[in-house]
Amino acid sequence: MRKEMSNSARLAMFAPLEQVGRAEAVAARLFDAITLGLLDDAEQLPSEAELAAQFRVSTVTVREALAVLRQQGLVETRRGRGGGSFVRTPDWPAQSSWAERLRLVSMAELRDFGDHYLAVAGSAAKLAAERSTPEDLERLRLTAEDLLGASGPDATRAERHFHLEVAAAAQSPRLTNQEVQLQSEHGVLLWAPLGDKETCRGSYAEHQAIVTAIASADGDRARALTEEHLLGALDRLADLHLTLETP
Amino acid sequence: MTDTHTLTGEEVVTQVSALVEEIFARLKPVLAAAETLLGETADLSAEALHTIRPQVIEALGGLVVGAGFVSAPNVLADQELGFEWWTSCRTDDGAPEQLFISLDPESPNFLDYTRQSWFTVPRDSGRRHVNGPYVDYLCTDEYTLTFTVPVTRGEEFAGVVGADVYVREFERTVSRRLRALGRTAALLNAQGRVIVSNSVRKATGSLVREIDVPAWWASGAEPYTAPGGMTLRRCGDSPITLLVTT
Repeated sequence: MRKEMSNSARLAMFAPLEQVGRAEAVAARLFDAITLGLLDDAEQLPSEAELAAQFRVSTVTVREALAVLRQQGLVETRRGRGGGSFVRTPDWPAQSSWAERLRLVSMAELRDFGDHYLAVAGSAAKLAAERSTPEDLERLRLTAEDLLGASGPDATRAERHFHLEVAAAAQSPRLTNQEVQLQSEHGVLLWAPLGDKETCRGSYAEHQAIVTAIASADGDRARALTEEHLLGALDRLADLHLTLETP
Repeated sequence: MTDTHTLTGEEVVTQVSALVEEIFARLKPVLAAAETLLGETADLSAEALHTIRPQVIEALGGLVVGAGFVSAPNVLADQELGFEWWTSCRTDDGAPEQLFISLDPESPNFLDYTRQSWFTVPRDSGRRHVNGPYVDYLCTDEYTLTFTVPVTRGEEFAGVVGADVYVREFERTVSRRLRALGRTAALLNAQGRVIVSNSVRKATGSLVREIDVPAWWASGAEPYTAPGGMTLRRCGDSPITLLVTT
């Protein structure tokens, strides 16, 4: 089932955070803001104390989050006078255009795209379960592994490749073409919010479950799991879209 | 129609075997050119692959709509992967056109061909291979059979030369004789996947599950009649099997 989207207003950038996994949550929030282009390249972030106040977390938590982002190369910290934390926009896909695209997509279009994509990818998964040979399964497993430990553009690519591989395993040129077409339309949008590690781990587990269903020739389960997996991504995207609309 | 005729499907077997051998024969000059080129220098550049073009283009024609050489990783001195592939299907007049794919592992459009069966099977078995039917999402997005032969440099596997055949064209070529069998029949690949059939109950691309075709292959692929009367018969030296049901 599709999640309620009414809570997405709470995702607005500096809104208070839940108590669990706060450092990761702060990092995820800033990750989205940077990769979506909400924060500009070289822009100085508020001080640790200010961020802590805005997120309503401790400065230690903020420091942890910044360390994560520094590791990902998204934040640079300079010491001394004029120092502080600065945004480093990654050079994978042009971020400002990415955010602009997401802003321009309407919720109605997003839903329609989701319906179409679910129909294509769900059917492909069902047929793949009926038609996969051990060779196909081996390739699916390899592709599913690509998401392990991936983040950023690698994760996006791993997602797109996985669903392409499933469509090919369905032995259907039409579904494969549709898959490619849908991905080129909104694929970068759909999988880019994967960014943070937690979501990637979740997606990795979901891919594993889909491969298991295909391997056991359980078409209905492969379809259901694929649909759930895609709905999760579509929900994340819709949430981000609403965040962008929030003034 | 005589009984022996329907039982053996001799004409189908002969035709398929001849088709497969003709396609592999088209690859022989490409293989020779690729191995000669690889033998000339250990310092081969991607640019130098162009020298096998005349043989690649010559291989196009008949059922073959695409052909070329695909290198193993790090065979070329100046880039990790190499791909010299031409097709005759992109243009209206069938003029050969070079096909390009992303070879840069860092590119968002990169798809790793070293995972494709048309590459891995000849690499691991050292033998020629007929891959598919499969959706060739890497190149043409078409439903394809790809015939590949391993290329070696010295003792080392250095890549494959290959030829693409569209499943629909293969079907057109063999369907008349398949229908003439007068019984439900299908041509299967070594995994038991239907390439062509004369019945809706054996859809193209589906897997035959009544008989364990891979196991039959593993045990020598001798002509076989299953308890229910289904027969399997290999088409010459090809990896394609004729399945006839009662």
